[in-house]
Amino acid sequence: MSTYHDQSENEIHFLSTLRQAVAPGSDTPRDKRAYPEIFAYEDDRQLVEKIEQRNDLDQQGLASAFMDSADPQSLSVYTVKSLDEAADIIVNIARNRMPEFSNFRHIIQHAHDDIRELRLWERFSEDSITVHTTYREDAELREKTIASFIGITVADWGIADSATLVQCTRPGMPQSTSLVPSIHIGFIRKSRILANLSEAYAMMRRDSSLNSWCFISGPSKTADIEAHMVHGAHGPKEMHICILEDSKE
Amino acid sequence: MNPSHSYSRKAEAGMANDTLQKGLKMIQGRFGKGAMDYWSTMQDPERRKRAKSRRMQTLEHLDIVLAELAENIRKRGGKVYFAATAEDAIRYTLEVARENKVQRVVKGKSMTTVEVGIDPALEKAGIEVVETDLGEYIVQLAEDEPSHIIAPCIHMDRKQIGELFADKLGIDYTENPPELTQAARTALREKLLTADMGLTGCNIACAETGHVSLVSNEGNIRMATTMPRVHVAFMGMERVAANLQEHQDLLQLLTRGAALQKISTYVSFTGGVADDDNPDGPEQFHLVIIDNGRSKILADPEFREVLACIRCGACLNICPVYGKIGGHAYSSAYSGPIGAVVTPLLKGVNKHADLCKGETLCGACKDICPVENDLPRMLSSLRYKLAYGDEKWQVKPKSRMERLGFRMWKTGITSRSLYSFCLKVARWYMKGKTGDNGMVSAMPFLGGKWTKDRDLPPIAAQTFSERWRKTHRNSRNGSTS
Repeated sequence: MSTYHDQSENEIHFLSTLRQAVAPGSDTPRDKRAYPEIFAYEDDRQLVEKIEQRNDLDQQGLASAFMDSADPQSLSVYTVKSLDEAADIIVNIARNRMPEFSNFRHIIQHAHDDIRELRLWERFSEDSITVHTTYREDAELREKTIASFIGITVADWGIADSATLVQCTRPGMPQSTSLVPSIHIGFIRKSRILANLSEAYAMMRRDSSLNSWCFISGPSKTADIEAHMVHGAHGPKEMHICILEDSKE
Repeated sequence: MNPSHSYSRKAEAGMANDTLQKGLKMIQGRFGKGAMDYWSTMQDPERRKRAKSRRMQTLEHLDIVLAELAENIRKRGGKVYFAATAEDAIRYTLEVARENKVQRVVKGKSMTTVEVGIDPALEKAGIEVVETDLGEYIVQLAEDEPSHIIAPCIHMDRKQIGELFADKLGIDYTENPPELTQAARTALREKLLTADMGLTGCNIACAETGHVSLVSNEGNIRMATTMPRVHVAFMGMERVAANLQEHQDLLQLLTRGAALQKISTYVSFTGGVADDDNPDGPEQFHLVIIDNGRSKILADPEFREVLACIRCGACLNICPVYGKIGGHAYSSAYSGPIGAVVTPLLKGVNKHADLCKGETLCGACKDICPVENDLPRMLSSLRYKLAYGDEKWQVKPKSRMERLGFRMWKTGITSRSLYSFCLKVARWYMKGKTGDNGMVSAMPFLGGKWTKDRDLPPIAAQTFSERWRKTHRNSRNGSTS
């Protein structure tokens, strides 16, 4: 059997070395329950209550702040009152951009109710644009994602202070949709916009069993050549965010 | 090459490199000053102290915190390997590569992988290794070394990069940064989408949730952790926060300290394999937790603090020495003031003696450090060990000649008559050596090291004390001249 399937002895020795380094003389593994301060939190319940008690007017203010923060990050943000309005924006982007890596126009979208209701396949029935959905059963999902020049996602949270989307992976909502296509269009409901990173961390703490998530704040960029800012290093060159107006009640 | 010769020679080369000097001036003027301004006006002025205090608490319980991290990652199907040495980490990674028939590895920028030396080991095993951070990719194509923690190719200008890309990527010469970036984007996309393994570092892991978090602006790290079948993350054993609250403080200090950003473009949290909740995650995830000399640092209260470092590179952006000589002189993955402390401790204090002696102890690195690490204190401690030797760190006193010299100086300066005699001899000797510019340009023996790079003013015809004695005697007699 290979060594990487049998690590217990190695691990015990490693951790024992550390224990001897910080607590010389302790011969047995230290139990975390004896040191509650290590994982202790400052109470953030007030923060969470504040988030839960926000009304529509508060959320409107956060949406405006989100748009203000987006400007320096080369992000385009739109507030839309209906999914029809959002679909118009996507159609406009798709018709006016050329695919970067192929001659065919493919779009990949998250398998999420908000996006499904855009009914993009109907909008593109007259165009040579194919719309794919990230159904978990689709064995060709990877190929379709790589072939797509636009990826449309739904984020769990938005952060107004830094114009950030908190993109969690979930069934039918893979990571690559917001990453591999040249253009990323993210959806966020107005009621899901938080004020700052502290609030986002407080909410993620309550959902921390998630397999993976990502804070996304704008298109991919690099300044490695003489500090000259260029958008589109490896991820999307363009990023658009649609804030969908909804009500907290 | 003897590291001592290497340091001087590489420092001289750095100072003579106009492109590097321009890059260093830009990065220090912008990021160094910017970080200092931000610390002085930040809304949460206690964040640095709070982060440091939590960091030290985590380090003091590192055995418990790492056990928690490993348990939570395994719950999600990831594998965790504890590597006591660089050789262990290499052996394990090669085995993972072999079992998964890996032919191509794409890397996210990681200093720990450089410290361990995994690239040559993979290449020796016939595996292609491709750096995907643009700066690292440029450095790799040029068969060069990175010169800054977050800006690896500041020693190269757009013309050099244009020529490099024309030669290595076969494109028409251009020195336009967007065109150069597009060329790299196209070349690397193919590599990223066809690689079998992604190999990254780990900025800050979170023990409580069982995630490693990775920070990037380019998106290459997200690609390297999402598209290949296997993801291997190398983590220096100290790069862990106990919970998300500690993680948040460290993340915000990291992005501000590194590049004045409120938050990087991408901060990804990963730590498991593909499942319903992570449809396109890797088939295998391996976290390699690396000691490689760190436990010895942890065991020494004098140096434990240096493990609180979050590798933002801010100390490089303000250090007057780094600002002149650049990163190559440090002969290590870790350059600047942090490198001058960490490299000797990890690789041998005597072997890298020049690093701590090359710094000025001006204190700027302590002022700018997001976690307020007292690097000047640790640099002084290393110098002390070099002067007097240290059994625990196996340090031999650096120079017996230097010790002899200082003993002779002590004898001379504590005897007025001997000191005056030596002064007269030196004045007489230097008079014969003084050139037309009134300076001494060449001295024998150890003095030659001084005059190699600069002139020495001769000893004055009358020293201050000689003039004072004369003036004092006259004033006693009731006259001032």
